[in-house]
Parts: sequence; structure tokens; C-alpha cells
Amino acid sequence: MKYLVSVIDDKVTPGSTDRLPAISEFNERLIADGYWVFAGGLADTTAATVIDNRGEQPLFTDGPFVESKEYLAGVWIWEAPNLDVALRLATEASKVCDRKIEVRPFQ
Amino acid sequence: MVASLTRRFGDLDIAEEAAGEAFAIAVERWPADGVPPNPGAWLTTTANRKAIDRIRRESKRDDKHQEAQLMYYDEPPQPLGAIDDERLRLIFTCCHPALAMETRVALTLRMIGGLTVPEIARAFLVQETAMGQRITRAKAKIKAARIPYRVPSAEDLPARVSGVLAVLFLVFNEGYLATGPDTNPVRHELTAEAIRLTRLIRALLPTNGEVVGLLALMLLTEARRTARISTTGELVTLGEQDRGAWDAALIVEGHQLVLERLAAGEAPGRYQILAAINAVHTYAADVRDTDWSQIVALYDQLIRLDHSPIVVLNRAIAVAELDGPEVALAAVDRLEGALAGYHAFHATRADLLRRLGRSQDSRAAYDKAIELAGNTAETAHLTRRRDQLT
Repeated sequence: MKYLVSVIDDKVTPGSTDRLPAISEFNERLIADGYWVFAGGLADTTAATVIDNRGEQPLFTDGPFVESKEYLAGVWIWEAPNLDVALRLATEASKVCDRKIEVRPFQ
Repeated sequence: MVASLTRRFGDLDIAEEAAGEAFAIAVERWPADGVPPNPGAWLTTTANRKAIDRIRRESKRDDKHQEAQLMYYDEPPQPLGAIDDERLRLIFTCCHPALAMETRVALTLRMIGGLTVPEIARAFLVQETAMGQRITRAKAKIKAARIPYRVPSAEDLPARVSGVLAVLFLVFNEGYLATGPDTNPVRHELTAEAIRLTRLIRALLPTNGEVVGLLALMLLTEARRTARISTTGELVTLGEQDRGAWDAALIVEGHQLVLERLAAGEAPGRYQILAAINAVHTYAADVRDTDWSQIVALYDQLIRLDHSPIVVLNRAIAVAELDGPEVALAAVDRLEGALAGYHAFHATRADLLRRLGRSQDSRAAYDKAIELAGNTAETAHLTRRRDQLT
């Protein structure tokens, strides 16, 4: 079962910026234990562009699709046998990243 | 039966529907064909067939068939009966921390307690459709997020058990003091189910102090159940109950469990302290023999763990017996901000004011308590007390 694991940061009270070494070490464990599928940190939401081509002309909008205090700072995709395993890893990930984590199953 | 079907088919909806269909067929056929020699086995076989039928039908559309076979068990079997073992798996699934607390309670009552959606909706004063949706969403999440159907692993167990105990305590309380204006004041089926499930958890974790504490608390409370409601359907307070009508066997068992925890010499948790408070009451053959200073001391211990206004209110009730109603009233009045919407706050005030001879203030407090009380027996008791004021 694959889970999308979102790292949620807060613009007003952001998590600490010195987490990279700990995250790298955590990633290596995820790979060694067979849970790792993909990981990536995201650029600032101001770097996002929203495209809407449902009408006659494609429309490009500068910025994220929703402006909010909390935003997606990075994602993982994990392969885990069930939610208990995913939640246990996410509990660890939240400490490692110093940020909130959302776990959402793929269909 | 739902638990065993869930285990076999890995889907709460299929299990529930198949069980329902089997019962419907039984209702239709048994009166005409006669009851089969082993009704339980007949129902299980029929429900299994219905579930397989449904999976076959649906597997034409998607891969549910395959999904049903994906059920996995990575726990060694517990030293319990097969049915108990399955109920435990089901209760840990229904009480999963990824579900909201109110959803856990509703799902446990539906899947394990066997209550209908309207019954649960009434118990929690929400619309039937809203409750139905809540349960449907929870089942969909269990399936989509793959919440495992199993007893948690040893490392997760302590945290998961405290979540289950919270649900069982809520179920028990709903049974002991049912909230609906149209429901029976005491719902024995809920208290009995909560006790049975707590016994199961205890068999799984015999040395967990809080599991023993909760079981003792439930037994000592249940022991007073029949004495608690008068023949006219009115709530009888602890002090006025006929103690000879208490269930002696349950009290003996409850006391044994409390003593077992005292002997363990570990710092007690919330349920163990509440059980000890109840044991002080049930040790007293007459209300005048109650060791109120012991009860106040236990509440002091509880307040250190849980400084909620409700605990402070209950302590004040004991203080009234020890230091008099005036001291207690001062403590109760300080809780006004936190508990103004809670019927027991007003009922306690009304009683203290009555004992202080302040009839007019007491009447106003009774009015407020009656307005907020949801339990029919409690409303009857409060109304009689109010009408007796001079």
C-alpha cells in the first residue's frame, strides 16, 4: 500500500532549518527497510504556477492554488503494509523534520 | 458473527450486510420451516454464503475479490477463544487512533455492541443521517487507509489500550446514565457489553493496572444498578439506596480487583483511583459508615492527575459530607464558569442550597438542572426534590 506523506510547514512559526542531516539519515533507514519510494523537498509556494485549461484559453496564475498559513513543504511516498506502520514512521518523521506530517493513502 | 465475517472477508460493510441478510432470511424461513438444529451455525453459514455472493457480484466490477483475500494476520493467536480473539481485533480496529474519538465510540457501538444507527444517533443527540454518514466515512477510511484488523504489536499496545479503555468507559457511562429523553434511563445491554469487552482486554493484558482499574470501577458501579432506579422509575441517590439490593457477587469481585492493584504497589492511574473511591462506598454497609475523609483524599489524588472541573465538582460533593454543605457550596460556586451548561453542577448546587435552607435559590438551581438533564430517571428525581421544597 502506498501512502503520500506530506510535510506541513507554517509561515508564521516555521520549523527549524537545520534538519537536513537528520532527514538524510532517516531517508537512508527508509531505503534500507524497504519503505522508501520517493522523497522531495519543495521550493517556496511563491514559485508555484497554477494552470487552468478547462476553458477555451489556458490560464496561468502566479502562486499556489490556495494561499494559506500552512503549506506543503515536501513530500514522501512510502510503501507500507498498513496504516499502523505508516503512522509509526510518520511519528518519527515529524520529530526528524520538526514539522507536522499528513499521511494519506493512494487509491 | 460480524467480527468473524470481518476477519474472513476483510470488509466491515460486507460483514455487516451479510449478517443482516442471514437474519432476515431466518426471520422469513424459520417460522415456516422450523428452527434448524444449530441456529448459530446456520446463521454463520448463510451469512458466509451471502458475503461470497456479494464479493463475486462486485468482483466483476473491480478487484474486491482479490482485496478480500489480502487480509493478513501478523500476530500470533492470543490465548483466548477464537470468537473473543476476533472481537478484540475488531475493537482495536474500531478504536484506532487515526479515527476521531466520537467516531470510535460510534463505530464500537455499531460493530461490537450491535446498536442500530438510530440508537447511536439518539444516544449522542445527533441527527440519524449525520451519524450514518460518520459511520460510513469511518468504514471507508479503515478500508482506504488500510487500518489493520488486528491486535496491535507489543510496542504500540499500551498507548492503544488506553484509547480502547476511554471508548469502553464512554459506552459504559452511556448505558449507566442514558442521555436520551426517550431511552430507558439505564441501558443494561450497554453496561454489560462494556464489562464483557473490558474483561476481554484484561485477558489480553492481565497486568495492566488501568485495565483492572476500569473493570473494578465498572463492576462496583454495575453492582448498584438495580438499586439506583426506584420502582416508579426515579433515580435513587447513593445515600438513599437500599444497600441490601446491591449485587454482592459483583462487589466481591470489584473489591478483589481493587485489592489486587493496591498490592501491586504501583502509582494508580485514573480508573484505579475511581475504582478505589467506589470501593470505599461499597465497603460501607450503611451510608453513615462511609469513610468520607478517605474519599476526599482519593479525589485529591485524582485531581493531581486530572484537574478537570468535573473531578473538582465530585470532590466537593464528598467535602459536603466531611466539612458541611457551606464549605462545599463555596467550592462548587467557583466552577460556575466552566460547568454552567452541565446539569450535575446545578443539581449539586440545588442539593447543597436545599441543605442550607436556601429554598428559593435551591428551586432556581433545580429548575436549571431539570432543564439540562437528559436522563428520564434523573429528571423525575430532580422534579420530586424541587417540589418538596418548602
